[in-house]
Amino acid sequence: MTRGVVLFAHNNEQIDYVAQACFLAKRIKHFMDLPTTIVTDDKQRVLKYYNGANVFDNIIVSNPNIKNKKTYNDGSLSKKVLDFKNYNRSDVYDITPYDETLVMDTDYIISNNLLANCNHDLMLYKNSLDVSGWRDDSEFRLISETSIDFYWATVIFFRKTKENKMFFDLVKHIKENYAHYRLLYQITSTVFRNDYAFSIAAAIMKNVVDLPGKMVYTTARDILHKVADDELTMLVEKQDRVGEYTLLKSKGTNLHVMNKFSLNRMIQG
Amino acid sequence: MDERLSKALEFGNYSTTLENQKRMLHEKFITDTLYFFNGGQFSITKELINYVFVLQSTGQDTTVIVDDNNIPIQIENVEQFYSNIADKFFTATNEYHIQYEKLQSARSVDGLVK
Repeated sequence: MTRGVVLFAHNNEQIDYVAQACFLAKRIKHFMDLPTTIVTDDKQRVLKYYNGANVFDNIIVSNPNIKNKKTYNDGSLSKKVLDFKNYNRSDVYDITPYDETLVMDTDYIISNNLLANCNHDLMLYKNSLDVSGWRDDSEFRLISETSIDFYWATVIFFRKTKENKMFFDLVKHIKENYAHYRLLYQITSTVFRNDYAFSIAAAIMKNVVDLPGKMVYTTARDILHKVADDELTMLVEKQDRVGEYTLLKSKGTNLHVMNKFSLNRMIQG
Repeated sequence: MDERLSKALEFGNYSTTLENQKRMLHEKFITDTLYFFNGGQFSITKELINYVFVLQSTGQDTTVIVDDNNIPIQIENVEQFYSNIADKFFTATNEYHIQYEKLQSARSVDGLVK
């Protein structure tokens, strides 16, 4: 029985997802001792600029073709609208080389081995914690005010089973018919989000078990400042004070860093 | 800026940071008290420790305990299970206490995140 991690990394005009994937793969090896496979649309770049052959167990080429547009914040005062290539996440069931797969966003920083304890066929995070302690997190509890539970597609654990094949096929179907499902589940945003597609599939199939712990996250309005082994230092947006931040340090906690600019700055030193 | 206002703002910063650090510390404590056994996930609580202790004290060698995901898990060796959860809980609690005391004794924002 093989177990490993799959990371999707498709660079856009300004965000270097491949650099994030390299950074994360090294931490996965260090904290969880698991191999990592990267799924990217630019294999040559991974090999040439990132020493990819030494970092990744496998390099799989996949082009998501369709691009979304998404607003990327960099702290509370700066934002940009950039391409976001997130359409091939649901292909992971077919392309993973492992019997047991953890899929992670490249902006998820591993600092412990908690996820090594996954032991159900399909697991996602439902419970989450915003490090600020004051922001409204209702958008991460239900996919809309009158709808179903929100599940994060940031981290997924699955085994190759007949039921999970059905689950990922269903996610593809939801993606292809997103305009319909968006209205059915009262989702206000027109932009396709994997979180929504996986949440809808989870609500239909009812076969998802919670991943251990919580999805701890900083939003794109916060700034990652420093990573030293399992200690992360960040600047967290202050309540009612736009552009002002509070220092926060975490130790031994996995963290979803939504400010991709600050993550890239930290990686590049 | 008036010195009184400046000091009050500085203290406000300190208080916010202290509360945030306490929350992160508590979250870590919760994670540190998760115990994985025989395919099950158990949040170690004082209640669980007490329950398993009673089972052990009344001579039960094996039992079934419902885990965090409402799945019944067979425990073949209650004594070993008790020893493991008690050890993990005491380690996590001690670490929580040490880190909490460090926070309490820090008197500046810098000190809190050092």
